[in-house]
Amino acid sequence: MGDGKLVQQHEDSRLSDDVVVCDRLSKSFGDFHALRECSLGVRRGEIFGLLGPNGAGKTTLIRTLLGFLHPTGGRCSVDGVDPTLDGLGVRRRVSYLPGDARLPRHMRGKSVLRFFAEMHPDGDLTRSLHVADRLELDLKRHVAFMSTGMRQKLALAVVLGPRTPLLILDEPTANLDPTVRAAVLELVIEARNENRTVMFSSHVLSEIEDTCDRVAFLRQGSLVHELELADLAQRHRITATLPSEAIEVPTNFVDCVDVQVTEATRGRVGQLRIDTAGDLAPLLHWLDSLELRRVRIEPLGLRSVYDDVHQNRAPYVASPSTMPLSSGVKP
Amino acid sequence: MIHRVMVRTYIGQSALLWCSCGLALFSFAWVRVWVTSLLDMGQFRTILEQFREFEKFAPIEFDALFTYPGRVGMTFDEPIVILCTVIWCISRGSDCVSGELGRGTLEMLLAQPITRRQLLFSHAAVSVTGLALLCLLVWAGVYVGVQTTSIEETLPSPSFTIPWLNVELPLSGAESAKESMPLSERVDSSVFASPTFHLFAFGFFLLGLSTLVSCLDRYRWRTVGAVVAFYVIQLVMFGLSKAAKSLEWLGSVSFFSCYKPQKMVTLAVNESLAAPWSLTQQTPGADLPPLAYPLILVALGIIAYVAASIHFTRRDLPAPL
Repeated sequence: MGDGKLVQQHEDSRLSDDVVVCDRLSKSFGDFHALRECSLGVRRGEIFGLLGPNGAGKTTLIRTLLGFLHPTGGRCSVDGVDPTLDGLGVRRRVSYLPGDARLPRHMRGKSVLRFFAEMHPDGDLTRSLHVADRLELDLKRHVAFMSTGMRQKLALAVVLGPRTPLLILDEPTANLDPTVRAAVLELVIEARNENRTVMFSSHVLSEIEDTCDRVAFLRQGSLVHELELADLAQRHRITATLPSEAIEVPTNFVDCVDVQVTEATRGRVGQLRIDTAGDLAPLLHWLDSLELRRVRIEPLGLRSVYDDVHQNRAPYVASPSTMPLSSGVKP
Repeated sequence: MIHRVMVRTYIGQSALLWCSCGLALFSFAWVRVWVTSLLDMGQFRTILEQFREFEKFAPIEFDALFTYPGRVGMTFDEPIVILCTVIWCISRGSDCVSGELGRGTLEMLLAQPITRRQLLFSHAAVSVTGLALLCLLVWAGVYVGVQTTSIEETLPSPSFTIPWLNVELPLSGAESAKESMPLSERVDSSVFASPTFHLFAFGFFLLGLSTLVSCLDRYRWRTVGAVVAFYVIQLVMFGLSKAAKSLEWLGSVSFFSCYKPQKMVTLAVNESLAAPWSLTQQTPGADLPPLAYPLILVALGIIAYVAASIHFTRRDLPAPL
């Protein structure tokens, strides 16, 4: 059986569970590859984070899913509907907040909410007004006279009105103050609790860490890594002064330990870095035997993974249960 | 095909522009008819006779302008009428896609369950209806002008002709008598139905063209620039075709050649009210039947709309600027 058929079978088997399915999805603009053979699945009822530096392809991926862009390769579906064949069907199932949401400037806040509530078959003006109230938004003002943050709140009230199966938020907390950010994240979690699926792109790692169930890392148009946030809690980084003797990793820990050594340079002491995956308890005896000095043990946060992915390093050595789902780590 | 909520929004967006253009067109058409009454026909003839050598640049023969319907019919070729129509058509047409893209609002609109065709045709429905109503306002302005304006005509004084010498001598030394009458006795407003349709066809073509360019582009300023450039080039071509015999062919590739409101007035006055609506009768001094000209413009407009729809449906939408 060829690779393509395998991928097809794999994706088809996930169709019932996955709200979003991308199979080798590609998008090029001339010579520029905005998205390269991206395969991922977003499970029903989860909050899925999209991470990556600017220009990584997050927005291109989202806009292709919505049918704004036509893919140059591969396929995708939202709730079983292909956006290239039935864009209307996709948008009936999705509420989308663009990264730079602009609304008709000649309208007042309340008119905007009413307009979009009437546009969507699942539109709910009462709910939009409730969201606006929670975000402490003055709806009497014209959009033209609203600040950037107020416009973002208004766009959020528009998007969070209809109860669609999928909610796609492209940097929803941009331009918002910390209090409102927290309120937005609460709303995102509430949407998940209503069994809705949320796709969520952000540059604020702590937000992703606090809300998402799973996260995908994009770099230069490729999906380079996927991570279950629950697994992240079981990962630790141990740093210490580089010991004089070489370190040997016991064979039973090879799959869940990654050792990196920074040699001593002029004025700087050599450093040992051990990233671990899984339960830390079985490793403690081995770590003790290494007689390390100036030891520091810390949870391996999303920041470390992000940095590793961004700098094209393998983020950690994972046990089979935590191996990336589709593309894994690419050199 | 048409989305009710979008139509309502587009009406709201364009209401101010429509009201401004409508007011300008209605009042201008009215005033223009009134001004016609101020100038004595005899004086008007004297003025026009001095420009006989430029008659080829005029849309119709000068002789047709020595009648009240001909002079009132000139309203449809007045720069203000054309300008207001062009402003409505280019501003509404260019707004459709590149305008929304420029404002960044297309992303949120198309994220709703609405097809691109629905958006385009909802916009077109409002723009075309607005155009039709503007054209009707010109006609209404002319009608009101004709109904409210009085004219004075000099009655020929009694005279007798000396036989054999063929010399006419007045019977008295008194001044010629003047008679005042409503303009409606000389002008039937229904003859302007066909020019109104010509104005609509002219605008419909421009609307379609602007919408097509708007669907191809992402900047409204560039859309407006491209359509205005096309308009000016076509106008120059039309002018050149009138200026020199060797360049007459340019007229056949200029859409201005299909805009013949004054000819339709002459046709309606000289033949019958139905004459401008004929597809079989030959137009005097033209190659095609009278109704063929506006229908060409309407057909070109429809082609532009269809092309716009096809391209808009297929294109990638750029992210907000």
